[in-house]
Amino acid sequence: MAEPAKPEVTEEAKMDLLEDDDEFEEFEIDQEWDDKEEGKEALQQWEDDWDDDDVNDDFSLQLREELESNASKN
Amino acid sequence: MAAYLSMGEAHRRIGDYLSRVVDAISSSDGAALASLIAVSSAPGSTSLSDALATFPDFPRLAGDRIPHLADLLVPLLRAIHSHSLQRFADAYSSFEKAASAFLQEFRSWETPWAMEAMHTVAFEIRLLAEKADRELATTGKNPDKLQAAGSFLMKVFGALAVKGPKRIGALYVTCQLFKIYFRLGTVNLCRSVIRSIETARNFDFEDFPVKDKVTYMYYTGRLEVFNENFLVADQKLTYALMHCNPQSESNLRRILKFLIPVKLSIGVLPKRTLLETYNLLEFDKHVCVVLSGAIVTHLGRYTMLLIEICARGNMTFQYADVVTSLKRGDLRLLRQALDRHEDQFLKSGVYLVLEKLELQVYQRLVKKIHIIQRQKEPAKAHQIKLDVVVKALKWLEIDMDLDEVECIMACLIYKNLIKGYFAHKSKVLVLSKQDPFPKLNGKPV
Repeated sequence: MAEPAKPEVTEEAKMDLLEDDDEFEEFEIDQEWDDKEEGKEALQQWEDDWDDDDVNDDFSLQLREELESNASKN
Repeated sequence: MAAYLSMGEAHRRIGDYLSRVVDAISSSDGAALASLIAVSSAPGSTSLSDALATFPDFPRLAGDRIPHLADLLVPLLRAIHSHSLQRFADAYSSFEKAASAFLQEFRSWETPWAMEAMHTVAFEIRLLAEKADRELATTGKNPDKLQAAGSFLMKVFGALAVKGPKRIGALYVTCQLFKIYFRLGTVNLCRSVIRSIETARNFDFEDFPVKDKVTYMYYTGRLEVFNENFLVADQKLTYALMHCNPQSESNLRRILKFLIPVKLSIGVLPKRTLLETYNLLEFDKHVCVVLSGAIVTHLGRYTMLLIEICARGNMTFQYADVVTSLKRGDLRLLRQALDRHEDQFLKSGVYLVLEKLELQVYQRLVKKIHIIQRQKEPAKAHQIKLDVVVKALKWLEIDMDLDEVECIMACLIYKNLIKGYFAHKSKVLVLSKQDPFPKLNGKPV
């Protein structure tokens, strides 16, 4: 009767391989939590006013250099 | 590994199990019944399985002892027995028979006392069907059990989605159905259950248990992503994020995996503080530990949790470059990020969403060119020569000729990402003096 232990391990491993990572994990049947308190902060994690006029970052400085060097060649 | 079991002992154990099921039903103990019929995880199922192996005549024992529940108990014992022998296709077929008999009993009970057991049946049948299909596929047979489990769960849904106290259990079954349909790639089948849930006049959605509401919003949010309804997807996934158990990191991570691209597509970015912190987490865990103490006072517990989750799930890796490309107007970076994670993005169904960000990145690049020109020569800043755009793109290793760039500018104007007109002869884009780069402000492109 020592035999059945082995296939169980391979079965588990196979299941993991085929696991759909986007599948929502089951909550325990009696799992409860306070969803009123924590949730509010989730709304404050985003910004829609990021599109500023700042062109002093590295990327913009390199872009400027590139455009100016090309302009002088023309 | 089972020790030797006498026939008498096996007989006693099976009899004991049968009377526990009968007791649970007669005393309306839903939790006890649920644990007894959980084939894959029933407590003490090993000792029961050993008894079933020792006493092969168990179907007759069950039929003789408890004839009025034989339709339920005989196939249930067979399912437990086959499952313990890892014959999953057989276990599935028996369990489906037991489940049908159980559903019939459940319909006849007026109160929803057995809801937990009904949910256990719904969960178990899905799990068993998945195991059975894997077994069938490896032996070259047609894996059709998960589909069959879906048909059975539609019957369960029908028994629950009615007026009255049983309706509260309908959303759980809906979520099991979603898991099956997403797994099988038949997501269009979700539509009829969604309609039934959302059009009910006599039951308020908010009255369902929170765990089922969160799961439901995650899946319906993903469906809206597939259908490119980004505003509705945003509402549903945000609901899921707000109400999800803060302890359930893997589920929060799954929600963010879809919510971040949706937010990006309507011009909303994850906060800079959040992003900078994930980058630090990515580069150096020690810096993170030092910083997290300082940051936690500003950001609060929930934010820290989200940061941790994103970092652990490698979300940084997947999305940080995409976000940076939007901020910079860096098309090369966007393309690199899409290439690097192509398989994963395609598999999750977010690739097309992210690919569409390209127009926003073009808008940002043209805006940067405009600002740089304005600083140098304010009078001519609203005229952008197309060959300047071609040069900027070449610098980003993107080879495009004037015609192609013209086509993209026309598209930006058409989509209202740029206000202005195009002077075709002189190859110049003339920007409107007022708000030449309208913001999306939470609207899709």
